[in-house]
Amino acid sequence: MNVSGAVDQYTVLTGDRSKIKDLLCSRLTECGWRDEVRLMCRNILIEKGTNNSFTVEQLIAEVTPKARTLVPDAVKKELLMKIRTILTEIEEEADEPEDES
Amino acid sequence: MSETGCRHYQSYVKEHSYDTFRVIDAYFAACVNRDARERKAIHCNCFECGSYGIQLYACLHCIYFGCRGAHITSHLRSKKHNVALELSHGTLYCYACRDFIYDARSREYALINRKLEAKDLQKSIGWVPWVPTTKETNLLLANARRRLVRPNQTIGLRGLLNLGATCFMNCIVQALVHTPLLSDYFMSDRHDCGSKSSHKCLVCEVSRLFQEFYSGSRSPLSLHRLLHLIWNHAKHLAGYEQQDAHEFFIATLDVLHRHCVKAKAEHDSKSNSSGSGSGTNSSNSSSSHCYGQCNCIIDQIFTGMLQSDVVCQACNGVSTTYDPFWDISLDLGETTTHGGVTPKTLIDCLERYTRAEHLGSAAKIKCSTCKSYQESTKQFSLRTLPSVVSFHLKRFEHSALIDRKISSFIQFPVEFDMTPFMSEKKNAYGDFRFSLYAVVNHVGTIDTGHYTAYVRHQKDTWVKCDDHVITMASLKQVLDSEGYLLFYHKNVLEYE
Repeated sequence: MNVSGAVDQYTVLTGDRSKIKDLLCSRLTECGWRDEVRLMCRNILIEKGTNNSFTVEQLIAEVTPKARTLVPDAVKKELLMKIRTILTEIEEEADEPEDES
Repeated sequence: MSETGCRHYQSYVKEHSYDTFRVIDAYFAACVNRDARERKAIHCNCFECGSYGIQLYACLHCIYFGCRGAHITSHLRSKKHNVALELSHGTLYCYACRDFIYDARSREYALINRKLEAKDLQKSIGWVPWVPTTKETNLLLANARRRLVRPNQTIGLRGLLNLGATCFMNCIVQALVHTPLLSDYFMSDRHDCGSKSSHKCLVCEVSRLFQEFYSGSRSPLSLHRLLHLIWNHAKHLAGYEQQDAHEFFIATLDVLHRHCVKAKAEHDSKSNSSGSGSGTNSSNSSSSHCYGQCNCIIDQIFTGMLQSDVVCQACNGVSTTYDPFWDISLDLGETTTHGGVTPKTLIDCLERYTRAEHLGSAAKIKCSTCKSYQESTKQFSLRTLPSVVSFHLKRFEHSALIDRKISSFIQFPVEFDMTPFMSEKKNAYGDFRFSLYAVVNHVGTIDTGHYTAYVRHQKDTWVKCDDHVITMASLKQVLDSEGYLLFYHKNVLEYE
């Protein structure tokens, strides 16, 4: 398995995945990103939603690139730091038993 | 109107019941325990490309996981399956409708799973947007008039008459009224007074005060009823002498807290006597008089936990005790050790407060590990922080030799991250950022003087409250003031 798969598995197992997700959600709410994206979705729906064929997939496809660019750098940086700390901790824990044996 | 999903989901539920949804949600969306996390980590990857990708869907008709987009939709199309569960948020998706669907009962089950997950991981439950209940929706519809709060509006500001050296009370009331969490509580009418004689209840009086503050009237208020109630409940404050604002603050919290405990006990005993007796712990809660035990609004907002570690110098054994606190009192005088430095900032004061202190040879403590009397060090740290942290700068020094006021300037920040002072610094998820929202100042000498308060009225708008006079103030004025009591509010709240 590749590294990112292993990291995915490990963070799911320890519950860190869920905590990081919560942290990201609360940061995005806090900085107003959530409201901005909500407003963006509303405006697109007002514009295009009148014909019934407009689906949620189309909405996601249109909003995603814009929403990604709106994520503040500070949030990205903080998340990156958190993930790095968690992974270093895992590394340290994995090293310890080897030292003893 | 409750949400019932779509007709495809309804017929799915009729055929398969909610069981599959509940199990899949509990194991792969919310992960309610370690077993669930293990199963998710091992089995939950896309059947098409093997990715553990960020957005996986689980088919609710058969055993299948697939990435968002082509992988899951091609499965649903070819197998003629309709309903899938999006696993990172736990949202239901209907392929026939090409849309996310919302079903009230599924949501209830999902919420139970989220709570179990939060409990298992010892975290707070993730942020969920407010959804009004039927009762709230009806209330909103019935009261269509809204009051729009614009910048520069004075609603929420009232001057307070000085009833004869009662500025100590006025400034504390101003600080309390401008505490966001406390005003949320009282403005949403959450205090349900158990006692029939509500004119004797201090919480009811505070509740009434909030109504007065936000009534839109601009004339100064008189707090004689509040003062009278405090006098009745905290005898040491009775009389017309000048009082200490800090002492009044703590006494007010104490009286409010006791009222809440009493109201809750009465409420419990009433509901117990009418219903079946499930109240084995209600007798405990009413008898527990010390604070930090109950869950009243005062404790929820103001109570934190102080950790004190006593380390034995002989065997390095640590004995740890926890004590609840409502405020943190900080020394301003010269330190006796470390070359007699005087603290210049709030951070200095806190570093001093949380520094390991040698207890000396005269104060030997029996160590519980090595069972002998040994010299030891003692260190405070903050185990949990309340939503509102108040600092009390000990400007009034009473010693055997001299009573004096320390007027030295102590710099304090607007935004304050308390992480360095926590017991567990390694907790990667704690958020301990606070912002300043009220400052109580004392001008004058130790014997006679006057209290004023700066309070944050709106974001970046500060006002000075000097009894009945309310004036605009700049942040600079606030930060340049001497500072006696400093009130900080938590930026990000966590939910149970």
